[in-house]
Amino acid sequence: MIDFLSNTSHIHLLLNHVPTTAFTVALALFVIALFTGSETLKKTGFAMFFVIAAVSIATYTSGSAAEAWLRGAGTASALPAHVLSDVIREHEDAALWATVLMAVTGFFSWLALWQSKTVRKLPSWSVPLVLVLALLSFAAMSRTAYLGGHINHVEIRPDVVAVHKACEAILDEATKRPGSIPDAPEGCPWQSAVDEVAKATGTPPPHTSTARALGDFVIGHTWMWPTLETLHFVGLSLLFTTVLIVNLRLLGMIKVVPYAAVYQLLPIGMLGFAINLVTGMLFFVGIPSQYNANPVFYWKIVFVLLAGLNTTYFMLADDAWRARAGQSAPPRARVAAASAIFIWLAVLYCGHMLPFIGNAF
Amino acid sequence: MERWSHGPPKGGHYRCPLPVKGSRYTKLDVVESTGFMAFLQTIENLGFSQWVKQSGSLWAFPGILLMHTYGMAILVGVIAGIDLKILGLVPALPLAPMRKFFPLVWAAFWVNAITGTMLLMADASTKLTNPDFGVKMLCIVLAVITQRLIQTRVFGDPEIDRRPFQSQAKMLAAASLVCWLGAITAGRLLAYVGSATGL
Repeated sequence: MIDFLSNTSHIHLLLNHVPTTAFTVALALFVIALFTGSETLKKTGFAMFFVIAAVSIATYTSGSAAEAWLRGAGTASALPAHVLSDVIREHEDAALWATVLMAVTGFFSWLALWQSKTVRKLPSWSVPLVLVLALLSFAAMSRTAYLGGHINHVEIRPDVVAVHKACEAILDEATKRPGSIPDAPEGCPWQSAVDEVAKATGTPPPHTSTARALGDFVIGHTWMWPTLETLHFVGLSLLFTTVLIVNLRLLGMIKVVPYAAVYQLLPIGMLGFAINLVTGMLFFVGIPSQYNANPVFYWKIVFVLLAGLNTTYFMLADDAWRARAGQSAPPRARVAAASAIFIWLAVLYCGHMLPFIGNAF
Repeated sequence: MERWSHGPPKGGHYRCPLPVKGSRYTKLDVVESTGFMAFLQTIENLGFSQWVKQSGSLWAFPGILLMHTYGMAILVGVIAGIDLKILGLVPALPLAPMRKFFPLVWAAFWVNAITGTMLLMADASTKLTNPDFGVKMLCIVLAVITQRLIQTRVFGDPEIDRRPFQSQAKMLAAASLVCWLGAITAGRLLAYVGSATGL
């Protein structure tokens, strides 16, 4: 347990199974829902896609911390001999695309759930669109998982497998024609196999990293960081429009207004969150080292995940809808509303404290 | 780390024996003779200003700026909601009951006026000579005037919520959004534009 808390790589190893395994369950539910036509099952699928999208953000960001651990501390940091930098970069690029696709899937799943509350059924665009997006995200996530496996599991890495096959071929040849290899070896003539493979495939071109190129763009232009920060502030203001007005209504502030009316504000908050997810990801891709060893950043992600669960409650439960014009919200909805305000204030607190308690900037 | 604590050295240019050509020390030497600059230096050297800037306490610069950020989120968040409603984005929401948010909005405004003044004291000679600070203040003054006009004219309309908003109301709402966007942008850029000290 102590080790788990001190070595943040464990977080990535724990989370990186969610986008593929939980996704399989969610997709299966969704397909069953398509055949049975069950609205409840469809909504469960949408909610699961939304939660998995939130977890994917944590999965992506924790990957960078795992790499930092693998490289070790200090200026002379280096990867273990069997780990190739290019393999990590390839995994990171796949993860970036997969996370973007997953976020888009989560957004439209949320939008479908949001609309279904006002028109009492899921909008017709939602199922086909989200199904296509979910399949694309699943493919991208699976590819990311496959490439991630190559980082430490050399036994499945294509270049290593090719050398092993070449080894077997050389040994086969040796048994067929005894004496063709001087001093027929016990095991694999590894170096000859490596040479053979290199002759057949040529030197592979170095991997050009999209994520690093994007990161270099962010930090390479002096106007980028201030612009992203300003947009991040605009996004948080829009997010707070919804967080404050909707939740203060549920807590009894403008009781004459029915919940159904403030409910229309939710997409404004989601737009604010989307702006901040994009700008936040660009900060992260720009200088990952500012965040991956920063305890405040971990708390920020924890609170973002809690905010995701809070949002899911409002998308699935009907409690809040009992707050008609002039009526109080039921206790459960009031607790959720108070938590929402607390959670978002905490997210803001953590974001603000990144440079002061943590090591950012 | 602790970028904010690396402001100008205590006592500003007085302790710089060899003014570097083109650095802010030389610039300060030129304007030092004017009484206004000396006044700003005096404010910066007050015990409170020094505590805000240099103490390293989480209650000093980080805490005050946190309150400033919370204030901004509440102030601009709620006002943007009202503006977007007037512009027609949230048709089901009645506008009149939203006046109950005004005390919260103005409380947030005064929190930011006070915390803003504290932050300004710590960096007076830099911020008050930065044209970007003037832009921020102009945006806020215009935004406050717009907010007063929205409260008196739009909310004061006896026919509120019973007829579509007049084009004047929509103009005010759009102006409010633009002014607050300008204030946020100019405020964020204070850390980058002009002779930025990182505060």
